[in-house]
Amino acid sequence: MLGYILRRLVILLLSLFIAAVVLFALLRLLPGDPANALVGVGATPAQIAAAQAQLGSDQPLGAQFLGYLGDLARFDLGQSFVSRAPVIDEITTRLSVTLPLTFAAFGLALVIAVPLGILAAVKARRWYGLALSVVSQIGIAIPVFWLGILLVYEFSLHLRWLPSGGFPLRGYADPARAVQSMILPVITIAIVMSASLMRYVRAATLEVLGSDFLRTARALGESRTHALIRHGLRNGAVTVVSVLGIEISTTFLGAVVVEQVFSLPGMGSMLLLGIQQRDYPNVQGVLIISTLLVLLTGFLADIAQRLLDPRLRQERR
Amino acid sequence: MDDGVNIAARVGSRKNITLWLGAVLVGVPLLAGLVSFVWTPYALSDMVGGRLETPGWAHWAGTDRLGRDILTQLMVGARVALVVGCGAVAIGAAIGVMCGILAAFATRFADDALAAFFDILIAFPTLLIAMLVVATRQEASLGTAILALGIGLAPIVGRITRILTKQVLGQDYIVAARVCGTSWPAIVLWHIVPNILPFLGVNLALQFGLAVMAEASLSYLGLGAPPPNASWGQMLQEAQGTVYSAPWGAVLPGLALFALVIGVNLLADGLRDRVSSQRGEA
Amino acid sequence: MHFRIDHAQARGRTLLMAMTSVSALTLGAVCAMAQDVDPQAVVNIGSLYEPQNLDNTAGAGQGINEAFNGNVYEGLFVLTDAGDVEPKLVDSYTTSDDGLVYTFTLKDGVTFHSGDPMTAADVKTSIERVTAEGSASSRKSTLDVIDKIEAPDDKTVVITLKTASISLPYNLSYVWIVNDAAEDISASEDGTGPYMLQEWRRGSALAMVPFDAYWGEAPSNGGVMFQYFTDATAQNNALLTGAVDIITSVQTPDALARFADNPDFTISEGASTTKELLAYNDRVAPFDNVEVRAALSKAVDKQKLLRAVWGDYGTLIGSFVPPTDPWFVDLTDVNAYDPDAAKQMLAEAGYPDGFTFTLDTPNYDPHPIVAQFLQNELAKVGVEVKINIITANEWYTKIYKAHDFQATLQEHVNHRDIVFYGNPDFYWGYNNPEVTRLITQSEAAPDTDTQTDMLRDANEMIAQDAASMWLYLYPQIVVSTSNVTGYPLNGLNSQFFAADITKAD
Repeated sequence: MLGYILRRLVILLLSLFIAAVVLFALLRLLPGDPANALVGVGATPAQIAAAQAQLGSDQPLGAQFLGYLGDLARFDLGQSFVSRAPVIDEITTRLSVTLPLTFAAFGLALVIAVPLGILAAVKARRWYGLALSVVSQIGIAIPVFWLGILLVYEFSLHLRWLPSGGFPLRGYADPARAVQSMILPVITIAIVMSASLMRYVRAATLEVLGSDFLRTARALGESRTHALIRHGLRNGAVTVVSVLGIEISTTFLGAVVVEQVFSLPGMGSMLLLGIQQRDYPNVQGVLIISTLLVLLTGFLADIAQRLLDPRLRQERR
Repeated sequence: MDDGVNIAARVGSRKNITLWLGAVLVGVPLLAGLVSFVWTPYALSDMVGGRLETPGWAHWAGTDRLGRDILTQLMVGARVALVVGCGAVAIGAAIGVMCGILAAFATRFADDALAAFFDILIAFPTLLIAMLVVATRQEASLGTAILALGIGLAPIVGRITRILTKQVLGQDYIVAARVCGTSWPAIVLWHIVPNILPFLGVNLALQFGLAVMAEASLSYLGLGAPPPNASWGQMLQEAQGTVYSAPWGAVLPGLALFALVIGVNLLADGLRDRVSSQRGEA
Repeated sequence: MHFRIDHAQARGRTLLMAMTSVSALTLGAVCAMAQDVDPQAVVNIGSLYEPQNLDNTAGAGQGINEAFNGNVYEGLFVLTDAGDVEPKLVDSYTTSDDGLVYTFTLKDGVTFHSGDPMTAADVKTSIERVTAEGSASSRKSTLDVIDKIEAPDDKTVVITLKTASISLPYNLSYVWIVNDAAEDISASEDGTGPYMLQEWRRGSALAMVPFDAYWGEAPSNGGVMFQYFTDATAQNNALLTGAVDIITSVQTPDALARFADNPDFTISEGASTTKELLAYNDRVAPFDNVEVRAALSKAVDKQKLLRAVWGDYGTLIGSFVPPTDPWFVDLTDVNAYDPDAAKQMLAEAGYPDGFTFTLDTPNYDPHPIVAQFLQNELAKVGVEVKINIITANEWYTKIYKAHDFQATLQEHVNHRDIVFYGNPDFYWGYNNPEVTRLITQSEAAPDTDTQTDMLRDANEMIAQDAASMWLYLYPQIVVSTSNVTGYPLNGLNSQFFAADITKAD
């Protein structure tokens, strides 16, 4: 097991390296020298040269790449073209919105999806089992922004329970308002995410119900519920964990849209603004950090899956 | 009496309803999209009515701010949605399934490398890739959006294919087949593909939904293909400002999007249950 | 995010003001509540224009003018909400007979937020910040006439001009007086205004508190907080739920329906100077041909467009000059809607089968919908429009600076900005020597009547020439909760003076 973790760690580091290369290439492939974006079109050659020197884009590509890797290693993501502020500072502030949003939404989605998914599988023949599957279908198909608007209409404009958007100026120093402003966005993402998670859980549980080892366990005298909990949960968990890596990145996407609907100052709105303003350092920074986070999640998910699934554990040892 | 196979079989028979419901929900936009090639109530961008007319006889689904017929836009939007969904899934599946199976069969090193590569690509999420491509192209079009979405979907499909394939490869009968000297293309064709197809099919349906939804989200964020390429997402974006005074402009395209995605998922579910119950009985 | 054209070059003068109070209860409510005004209340202002940074010479956008002009920073002069140019940090000034030398005496007792006193040296460096080579200020060119700035003593500033300019005080109202000891003001400030920056959270809000040592009258509230939204619907929701007290601009008439007939809200309509227009690149074929431009103008039903975008609000003006400018004339009859005539004119101009052009369209409301309307209207006379959606930044670099376009859509917010048509180097490249002469000479006119006559002639000429396609004049609408009063209605040049706003309990 330790060997696997070490091997997986090496892969993680390699992945990060490749991701950095891909990003470097991608952003250099975008049309135009970033120096032009910095000074704008009517600039004099002297101004462009100065901007190039500032950005280092006058150096050979190899040197640029090494400098870029060095900067990354020191977590120096450069300066925004537009605000002139260090990119990493803005990302840190905005992560304090997006990370809690993503994790709270994912946690809530798990709490909803796992029990309901198992129930939908076990009671598949009953009307409420069927109803649960239908509900999960609805959840998957509902557009995120539509759901957001609907929730705002009901809980902010009609019932006046929660704010319709925005985030307090002082952030978590104003805990009551910070939490309040997160509730609707979290619920919005969680509903959509739990719907797709529930399907995975239900499918996995159905598979377990039809599997040999459950039959064996029952033949050995375990009660169905007991057997299901002992063996089924574990198999369900494997499924959930295996989709975790994918789900977390779609959650981040959901966050981009949801941050727009609720005017939240998170990474998503930073990326969107960066793209609109051609603010390359900001776009690059957000992509690097979000890629890093997703890769890290994938790493943890793989290890957890290895721990949980005996079949995968045996396969190579 | 109470074992899983029987449950699956019985759920399957009941699921005929879902199959039919799914077929209807997909069939309506499919039909509307096809009909829109030859006939729509009005021309797509003709300003034939007043500002924000409520649904009525002349305009069954009302009109938008410019007085354009919403039903016409919905029909053309159905065509766009189907093209986007099918195009993106076809591109994604073509690349993803091939790479996924290859990875599962490859040497440990190549497998790890490919798996890691899928993870890296997934870490650049679909929507972001699409955003970058569409946002930086001067001549953005629906084609670029589809290509971007398809490439974005490929690693997700690849990752799932690889996991599914490995699970099948670990089964006893595959080991037996290998011992018997069955060639690996035969194993892929006779054992892997039929076994992963139901789960993969459901997954592709989900990806179809994801692609259609992603295109709508892109348009909603103002990063979609330029007008007059009427897509449901673009209709939603344009109706944003009038969502409280003329809700039908936002509700109807949203509903259409919702129905299509749910329809595809139900259809896939129903088909999978039918397949697995047939195999269970055989 | 929105890049609006907001240069202007004109002398201040009182604007006519139209104020319509839609809410029936307002008057009574104001009287009843005057007693309960809470001088410590913080006023929450909802806005769609978040600044990019805090330095108006570093491409911060119009949002920084809204938040900081007259609130955190002050100029030597101020353009009041009524449209007058009045001395602010200047106590008195004299002009030489030839109009080339201005001598300003500064006010006593003005201190910066850091505690330093304001001196003539601060004023000199502040003006030089705007005219510096690296400055991205959109006002830069209007100060090109300055030959040199001298500070003979702490209280006196002498500005020598290359040519006479009666607009200098107006142009100086854009120049923030910044402490010359402050090095980088892109994330902090050191001004002389009634408010100090308290905190700015990017993407969210910007808070200001009263400056205790302010030289003038203290603000009548306990501070202001600008809350920024990327979406107009979210902004309206915030007002409806009481999260903000005022919203500085309303984007659609449909939003107004949510506040009308509700005694909790006041809808005020000010004097608008914001014009929506299709600007051709008059340098390139076929738009260098007056016949073609006039034909396109006749092909578009602007009344129908205005109704689609603004419902019952807004007005048609037929030119670039709003009714509040002294040289306004109703020119809606010039090149009025007549699609048959348009077709014929196109044929006469050598385009019997029409032509195709690309319309660069900013990606925010209302431009995309306007572009689709035009695409549809022009198709009826055989002209095909290709819509190219661009960002505000692209608009600035591609169109405003590089002039690399065929036609574009833009809103111009300033009053008295007909002067752009007298500058052949402006982005739209309109070049009529007679108009250029009239506009240039009006700057050195002996009195305002002469200036008005000259500019009225210029106005009629550009309308005849169909220099651009002027679509409509926006309404200027501010909505607030009814317990808030004293806010600026016209929002000239995107300014939003907050010091007089009062909020009752």
